[in-house]
Amino acid sequence: MTIREFLSDRLRRLLFQAVFIMAAAIFLSATGTGMGVLILLLCAWILVLICIQTYDFLKCRAHLSELQFIMDHLDEKYLFTECIPKAGNLYERYLFILTKRAGRSMIRAVSDARAANREYREYVESFVHEIKAPITAARLISRHVEPETGRKLIKELSQIEAHVERALFYARLESPEKDFLVRQSSPAVIVANAIERYRSLLIQSGFRIETDNLEQTVYTDEKWAEFIFGQILQNAVRYRRKEDPFIRISGGRSGSQIAITVSDNGIGIPAHELPRVFERGFTGSNGRSLGGATGMGLYLCRKLSACMEAELQIFSEEGKGTQVMVIFPVRDAESGAGKSF
Amino acid sequence: MSKIMIIEDDPVIRDELTLLLQNEGYHVAAVTVFRDIATQVSESAPDLILLDLGLPERDGFSLCAEFRRNLDTPVIFVTSHDSALDELQALSLGGDDYITKPYNVPVLLARIRSVLRRSTVRSGSENPGVNGLTLDPMKGYASANGKTIELTRNELQILACLMEHNGEIVSRANLIETLWDNQIYIDDNTLSVNMTRLRGKLESIGLSDFIKTRRGMGYQL
Repeated sequence: MTIREFLSDRLRRLLFQAVFIMAAAIFLSATGTGMGVLILLLCAWILVLICIQTYDFLKCRAHLSELQFIMDHLDEKYLFTECIPKAGNLYERYLFILTKRAGRSMIRAVSDARAANREYREYVESFVHEIKAPITAARLISRHVEPETGRKLIKELSQIEAHVERALFYARLESPEKDFLVRQSSPAVIVANAIERYRSLLIQSGFRIETDNLEQTVYTDEKWAEFIFGQILQNAVRYRRKEDPFIRISGGRSGSQIAITVSDNGIGIPAHELPRVFERGFTGSNGRSLGGATGMGLYLCRKLSACMEAELQIFSEEGKGTQVMVIFPVRDAESGAGKSF
Repeated sequence: MSKIMIIEDDPVIRDELTLLLQNEGYHVAAVTVFRDIATQVSESAPDLILLDLGLPERDGFSLCAEFRRNLDTPVIFVTSHDSALDELQALSLGGDDYITKPYNVPVLLARIRSVLRRSTVRSGSENPGVNGLTLDPMKGYASANGKTIELTRNELQILACLMEHNGEIVSRANLIETLWDNQIYIDDNTLSVNMTRLRGKLESIGLSDFIKTRRGMGYQL
């Protein structure tokens, strides 16, 4: 609050005071008060007035800056009304009570929404765990049917699994606890697990995969990283070329960071769509023409890597192939290992 | 043949798993009453335990810790909970492997084989030669008739897989699966190329027609 703001706020009151002083001065001089006495009286009056206004101004400013300080240091701004000191005068007190009621109702609404969100997320997580048992049973049973039908069934079951997996990671991502475990791991292991998860898909699509220089050390959550590579592999399979589909997964250092690049020789992504591939729900012309794209895979990948401070980059040339680069953060070995979030 | 104990509360999965493992030639014991599991395990003395983490009475973690007190039977955890924390806990409690549901049947079998192999390697076993050919997998050499050839990783794995199933027909699909188990991710065409090269090398040490092609079925030693 500046002096100017303060004065303009009190303009009407001050003008009224001035008029009143003037009227008093005219009245006093008309009733025969001597000029000397009158000036003395007016000076004293104005001095008192200025003192009162200055005191008001300082008090008001101190109060406001205290409130400002509280607001600035609050993590959750909506808790403001719970933290401010009780007001001094009657008007402020009433205002305070009203704001506090508004704040309380806001807090309740926020915590209700949080609880509902958490319950929903927990339900999704338990649903995902529950549904894995019947999928497992169905996988085992599918061995009894005739091989061709069995293969088709397994392919469909794998699709269900992939969708379920995305739902699980979506729920995990929304969780404020973000329960991931960063520890020392090797891209070789992560990539091997991701390939293993989608091996029937990859083998049936006739893929050849080359891995190179993956024996590195990165600090990451293996499961999350495995999910990210799994999504990239699924995309490579979905957008593969007909003849001789090929994936190359190679590790490399860029500066002190470790980057794992997954390159394929698939149909590629049109240049104008490339900047949007990480958007939620974006499927692109390839996704629309081939069907089955959810627009969630890469969106989740980017979100998950952002949580783990990893970076995702994508390069593509239409008709030639796509490269997705996962860049793992550099971590101090001592402080990063085994650190849980 | 090895004896595998299944501790799994879902009856459909338990029965199917039992059937699957029996078909693979394992002896199977399945736990159906989930009380005093540790006693049941020590009574049936299996070579491997498949342990589900979400059991009705108590969780698999504490169960595994109990096994570990007086048994060193390898344990593979099977669970639908798939987080790094769960896996870390499972392995630190003395689990030998950790598989998440839903699993691929070939992957499950491969993991079982590798855990069993690891535990039998501890007691020491040697890979004998087949039809005069001996394999040195550590050095990547194969030798016969006093001559030695150097093999690539792919050729070595192909040969090892065929020698492991000596006399049986191994289909191309199975061969590809086995190679993928060993992190060699090749397609059908690459397998043919590798096979041709391998045969050429075997011929150079006097083993022509060592690997027979069974048309429409696969390969056989």
